[in-house]
Amino acid sequence: MAKLLIGTAPVLSCEGLQKSYGDQPAVVEVGFDIAPGETFGLLGPNGAGKTTTISMIAGLLRPDAGSITVAGERMSPTAAAAKGAVGLVPQDLAIYPDLSARENLTFFGRLYGLAKQPLRTRTDEVLEVIGLTDRAGDRAGEFSGGMKRRLNIGIGLLHRPRLLILDEPTVGVDPQSRNAILESVEQLSGEGLAVLYTTHYMEEAERLCRRIAIVDQGRLIAEGTRRELVATLGEQDLVRLEVFGDAVAAAEACAGVEGVRSADVEESTVVCLMHGAGSRLASLLGAVAEQGATVTGVEVREPDLEDVFLHLTGKALRH
Amino acid sequence: MIRAALIILGKDLRLRLRDRSVLLLAVVVPLGLTALFAAILPDDQPRGITAAVVDADGGEVAVGFVDGVLPALAADEIVTLVEVDDEAEARREVAAGDIDVAWLIPAGFSDEVGAGRATEIAVLVTAGRVLPGEIARGVAEAYATQVGHVGLAVVTAAEVAGSAPGPADVAAAAEQAAATPDVVRIVQQATASGDRLDSTSYLAAGMAAFFVFFVTQFGVTGLLEERQQGTMPRLLAAPIRPGAIHLGKIGGAFVLGLTSMTVLAVASSALLGADWGPAPGVAVLVVALVLAALGVLALVASFARTAEQAGNLQSVIAIVLGLLGGVFFPVPGDAELLRIASLLSPHGWFLRGLADLRATGDWSVVWPAAGAIVAFGIVAAVPAVLRQRRASTW
Repeated sequence: MAKLLIGTAPVLSCEGLQKSYGDQPAVVEVGFDIAPGETFGLLGPNGAGKTTTISMIAGLLRPDAGSITVAGERMSPTAAAAKGAVGLVPQDLAIYPDLSARENLTFFGRLYGLAKQPLRTRTDEVLEVIGLTDRAGDRAGEFSGGMKRRLNIGIGLLHRPRLLILDEPTVGVDPQSRNAILESVEQLSGEGLAVLYTTHYMEEAERLCRRIAIVDQGRLIAEGTRRELVATLGEQDLVRLEVFGDAVAAAEACAGVEGVRSADVEESTVVCLMHGAGSRLASLLGAVAEQGATVTGVEVREPDLEDVFLHLTGKALRH
Repeated sequence: MIRAALIILGKDLRLRLRDRSVLLLAVVVPLGLTALFAAILPDDQPRGITAAVVDADGGEVAVGFVDGVLPALAADEIVTLVEVDDEAEARREVAAGDIDVAWLIPAGFSDEVGAGRATEIAVLVTAGRVLPGEIARGVAEAYATQVGHVGLAVVTAAEVAGSAPGPADVAAAAEQAAATPDVVRIVQQATASGDRLDSTSYLAAGMAAFFVFFVTQFGVTGLLEERQQGTMPRLLAAPIRPGAIHLGKIGGAFVLGLTSMTVLAVASSALLGADWGPAPGVAVLVVALVLAALGVLALVASFARTAEQAGNLQSVIAIVLGLLGGVFFPVPGDAELLRIASLLSPHGWFLRGLADLRATGDWSVVWPAAGAIVAFGIVAAVPAVLRQRRASTW
């Protein structure tokens, strides 16, 4: 597995992680490192094992096998030093709606052992970072979805962790708040914070993450920079054919055309990964027509992460 | 661990105080219901006085009481007389609450009175039956006074016999007779194992015991709420021992339960005139009951998947245990099955302990009841702990 370290020693180092629920393997031989200042993306469909992986890294679950080291400390559910180096931002909002923003921050700050005066100072700083200074005394339950999300992130940042785990932080967030969150992550990463970022949104991964790992069915099936991952598809083109008629039969016909490496169906669209699309497009359209289907639209472009994901897993990311 | 638990406890208490429902359940509703029921059921009025007399003497003075005084009271429907064979049976009946009072006239009573020597009539009173006890004592004292007057007359007459008494002779004889101690003393004995407090005290204690199972629920179901609102992963990710979370929740429930019962004991005494008995004994019973509530609720929480589910289960259990324990109305003395069933409820033991406490005034008598209550909690808590250990943390 390729490893890229921006700074010195990695903040997070996972090796051979395994976790099963009964006979059902949830995570199988997963390993990766994250360097200081690096934002690492973990992509995968629902049930791929992302949350279980994050749970083990945050010390919520004990792995069946493998090791996790955070800031030089071995992680386990009872490892206080390692846990203190991690800031967790769960996918579901993890705030108390009946406490104010300040009270939420203060409570978790005290749990992380921050002393009274430093906690007060740090709380003010975090409120400023997440843009809630003016609403610090208001009940969190009265906040908009975006404000709650920002408070959720702020709690994870409060104790100045070395590693910030963001699990789908922009789900259900309006575009403005979403952009604010992404800018915050970029800023934090620039300040040297290591970030583990899971998302369904490919454009977020492409914008934020220097390296990306793709997980499916508990396994890490690819890892690298965006360029490295796209390069795994080779010098290929992506052809999307909007089809009126039997798309499955059309895809099977396309798969038989020379130069086509894969042909998948996304609703009424046939997605082909192929060499030399410019010279073979007519053959492709002919193959579709032979199945009695009509092509209503054609798009030819270079593949992106979404296509890599589709190629590797056989399914779209937002399943 | 303690520090983290206290931080969590403090947060929970802050949240609960903002939630007005806990104040309603902890103080307002139980106190209001107590006042309401106490107004509907004035102390001891609905029941007549059932009484028995044991005449171990059979002499003329005793017969005067048994065949002269008591039938007149029965005829006026002040008391209902119940036959008992001996002192032992009378004590059993009073202890069980089957009769309210019993008069015990010792052997040799008439001879002692005739000789002018001190003797006594014992009045047994079922614990908590204050008014019947006072009436029984009053009846005995009135008869003792009559006996004393007759004795005085006899002594005076004896002093002046055989000669025409002058006023000075009569006065001297009367003064001498009056200077002697009362011939008949009345000794009241409350039973240690009776089961009745006065209505207001009984209702106040019963309501407090009933609602403490709802109040402590706020702390225990807090664990489920943390899971439901997504904060549990964040707590588990903090650099604290996982046990601190449970300790904080249980501590919060304990503080809420203790506060609720203490406020109710004080408020019902100050506002409604209830009397729970000596404070140390009350404290022991209250602590025991709160612990039992925590044990039961821990078991409920281990089965429930959501706080709402736990609340529903908890309500059913609290109502069943409360009814079994007789928190709304005392279990009738002649309902043997219900009396046995009440022993299956910590509420029943709590009220029994308070009755013993009130009856004796000795706080150490509550230990058996407190032990039974705590045992109830332990029996419930053990499977809860075992189930919790097996459960996933996230």
